[in-house]
Amino acid sequence: MKIFWSFTRQAFQFISAYRFNFFMEFVLSILRMYGIYWVWRVLYTQKPGAFGVSLDQMVTYGVMGMALELFIWSRPQWYISNQVKSGAIDTDLMKPLDFHFYMLARSVGETMIGVSVLAIPALLVAYLVLHVQLPPDVLTGLIFAISLILGFLLLFHLNFILGSLSVVALDIRHISWAYFSVVRFLGGQIVPLWLFPTAIRAIAEVLPFKGTYFIPISIYIGTITGAEAIRAIEFQLVWVVVLVIVSRMLWGWAYRRLVVQGG
Amino acid sequence: MEALRLYVRLIGLSMQARLQYRADFIMGMLNVIALNAVNLGLIGIIVYRFVDLNGWVIWELFFLYCLWLLGHSLYSLFFWHFWELEEYLIQGTFDQFLLRPASPFVQFLGREVQYIGFADMSVAIAGLVLSYTNLHLHWSVTQWLFFPVIVLSGTVIETALTLMTACIAFWTGRSGMAIDLIMEFNVLVQHYPIDIFGLWFRVVVTGIIPVAFMNYYPALMLLGKLDPESPTAWLGFMSPVVALILSLLAAGVWHLALRRYSSSGG
Repeated sequence: MKIFWSFTRQAFQFISAYRFNFFMEFVLSILRMYGIYWVWRVLYTQKPGAFGVSLDQMVTYGVMGMALELFIWSRPQWYISNQVKSGAIDTDLMKPLDFHFYMLARSVGETMIGVSVLAIPALLVAYLVLHVQLPPDVLTGLIFAISLILGFLLLFHLNFILGSLSVVALDIRHISWAYFSVVRFLGGQIVPLWLFPTAIRAIAEVLPFKGTYFIPISIYIGTITGAEAIRAIEFQLVWVVVLVIVSRMLWGWAYRRLVVQGG
Repeated sequence: MEALRLYVRLIGLSMQARLQYRADFIMGMLNVIALNAVNLGLIGIIVYRFVDLNGWVIWELFFLYCLWLLGHSLYSLFFWHFWELEEYLIQGTFDQFLLRPASPFVQFLGREVQYIGFADMSVAIAGLVLSYTNLHLHWSVTQWLFFPVIVLSGTVIETALTLMTACIAFWTGRSGMAIDLIMEFNVLVQHYPIDIFGLWFRVVVTGIIPVAFMNYYPALMLLGKLDPESPTAWLGFMSPVVALILSLLAAGVWHLALRRYSSSGG
């Protein structure tokens, strides 16, 4: 626990040094929320029945998608890739800490700050201005929280896998663009899976990505409830376990191949 | 003229440097194409259940997206590194531009070419051709003549806006996030017709950060959606004027910034 706290402190010091950047990040989130709010609102006015849910639920879905970006979007892949490129990775490896756990602790620290400084204030504004809903009851809120943590772990490990690949591929900048958009698309960040055409939906349903945005948000707005919610959480849990195993194997392999440039 | 010769020479050198990383180039191209495909796919999914978005059918939305992208592709080819101006300033590499007996602006411009712009361009052209045929458009000669003017105006608008924003770094040391903010307005304007948004947003992207002139207003004219009776119909033809005003402003800001520049002493 202490280790998570120390990384949280470190992240906090980092943002105090870059206050302006964080403020802009906040403005950007509000702008994105505003954008998706109008898209759903206009479409709903055109054809009220087509969402299968109410306008408030749809707007909440869109706004939460933008807020979750701030919550689950830690980026260990950048850190790993930069450290590998500069050769500074050797100092990370010398630390008396398992590297995978070290990265996780860092991400948790960053996320804590992201939530308290960015996500919650942005949601507060959205709640006041865009009529975002609260979860229907406390139990739903709790299940949402569990699902959200699993979603964070899922995305962390996907990112960690990409980061491990940077040891071999060295430059992951370009792959990341496509990777980001695929995660957001198949994860249902902007458009929920139930609006997908059947064929694409079938693919998105089996891949791990829907555990990042779609499942937590659907639980939040109440379209996944009861036994279905339990099954969705199981789905996330299974994928987290699979990805932890893959991450550890892949990192073990990458570690042996690690060439420190100019070291 | 001398400046142009120098620029072409510098760009040639930058290209040679870039060509050293061929695998990187191919990966970059493929990824930009994938990214755009996903974006267009999302727009497609959003509207396919609703037939249109506030009166814009799917091909019109693709047209809007690709018209923006075509102007942007020239920007990303030649001016992408404006984003990195803050790095030049912080690390002190900007000083070398001031030491040489040539315009610092030309030297800065010639510093980089970003090949990835070609991927943007291919996607944009393919998308525009497909939209043109699927919408059964028949442009008049005037519209055809106006089209390249609009695309170039788009490039100039984005370039001038980014340059001005990048110049903030001369005063504050940092400008990356401010450019990201401009980019976010760009993304919204690229993806959705601005008539779906609230009034203040339309005012901002028309009058303050006028990115709507990159695609929305000229697209109204090119897609025949312009209502000649409307009091704002003339906005459809204003892109070159906006581009001109912005480039004059940007030139002013650049000169002001240079005069105020003091090195980081790196």
